Amino acid sequence: MARLRISGREERRVWFLTNPGVDGSDAAMERYSNGDNAAFAELYDAIAPRLLGFLRKATRDAGAAEDLMQQTFLQIHRARGSFIPGAPVMPWALAIAKRLMIDSARRRRVEEGLFMHAPADDERMTSAPTATAAADDVLDARRLERRVQQRLDALPETQRTAYRLVKQEGLSLKRAAEVLDTSVTAVKLRTHRAYQALRAVFREEAGAA
Amino acid sequence: MSANLKAWVLAAAAAEPSPTRAAVNRRNILIGMLAVASGVGAFVIFALLTSEGQLVRVGGEVASHRHLERSVWLVATTAGGALGVAATALWFALCRGRSMLGRSRSRLLCGIALIPLGLFAWKVSCSLAFGDPMAEWPERPGLRCLSLSLLVAAGPLLAFLAARRSAPVQPALNGAAIGMASGACAWVALDLWCPVAFVPHLLLGHVLPLCIVAGTGALLGQALLSLRSR
Repeated sequence: MARLRISGREERRVWFLTNPGVDGSDAAMERYSNGDNAAFAELYDAIAPRLLGFLRKATRDAGAAEDLMQQTFLQIHRARGSFIPGAPVMPWALAIAKRLMIDSARRRRVEEGLFMHAPADDERMTSAPTATAAADDVLDARRLERRVQQRLDALPETQRTAYRLVKQEGLSLKRAAEVLDTSVTAVKLRTHRAYQALRAVFREEAGAA
Repeated sequence: MSANLKAWVLAAAAAEPSPTRAAVNRRNILIGMLAVASGVGAFVIFALLTSEGQLVRVGGEVASHRHLERSVWLVATTAGGALGVAATALWFALCRGRSMLGRSRSRLLCGIALIPLGLFAWKVSCSLAFGDPMAEWPERPGLRCLSLSLLVAAGPLLAFLAARRSAPVQPALNGAAIGMASGACAWVALDLWCPVAFVPHLLLGHVLPLCIVAGTGALLGQALLSLRSR
């Protein structure tokens, strides 16, 4: 009986495509890199919300965030042929987005403006209170939200980005370290410092109340 | 998130053709062949111009009254070891493991530092075992070796940078690693061509060009591999 012989790389690819635990975006990227153009729309649906959320929070400018997201997808599109089978897409996409964001900010020489402007349509850190909540609770929640946002804005950019990647985007410390191009220890430290700064806000609020 | 944004991204991608993995693999094979051809071509031309076409030189006049020869075994051992280090350096610089972000900063720095150290240590330890090649050659300070190394490494450096295309993180260090790998390939040619193993000669003619090519790789990597916004 003839035996099917496949290389190690092919074997990994087959495993990757058939493994149900693999992220949908990774499988879509794998198909896209192999020439399935329809998979690009799937990839977009899978990662665009997280990518746009990350960029909106980082740039504090909805228009700039959308522009950077478009550029990020075009970079992914251009580099699809060099995608490594089995590699996770999201850290790569976030790293591209971060690099483009920094380059864009540098180019326009308005880095401070990009990172510090108060947003009009920013996604909120805390969930919106329900319509049935008491008016005082709503006001308190909004005040707290503003204070948390202000404290987050006041943090150094490195701490803020590390916090967002780990606590809001849900990346592991290792992946966040890859995206930020630093060590796991540094990410851990930055996240911890940001976390402590935000906890201080809650403590102050509790003390005031 | 607006549907217009998605439509725009999909339309922009459709309007700009991009190579699939199969096309990239074919292109990389072609680039690899070009890198080998340019390196070997530069080596042959240099040998024709400077040593009457001798690609492997086993000895020469140290001084007017003294002739030194190195054994074929020494040539094979040093060049073979250098070939192994060069292959490892190429794997290190061009393969990214299982992540699209490539190797971490600390690993890149370690690799960049270890490659010249490994090559130098191998050359010196092999030559020590044979003795004579470690002697001083006053008329060969190492400038011709420096030129040979830079000439042979230039083509592979450009080719490998073209193969890598982009590096979202650490473009300069990735470029330096590619430069160091190209320099390591040139070291193999040097091991065949140069019979001198005098330490100051090795530092000037063999190790310095590695550092120059790595530095050039870092500059080119920063310019060519880093991502730019519109």
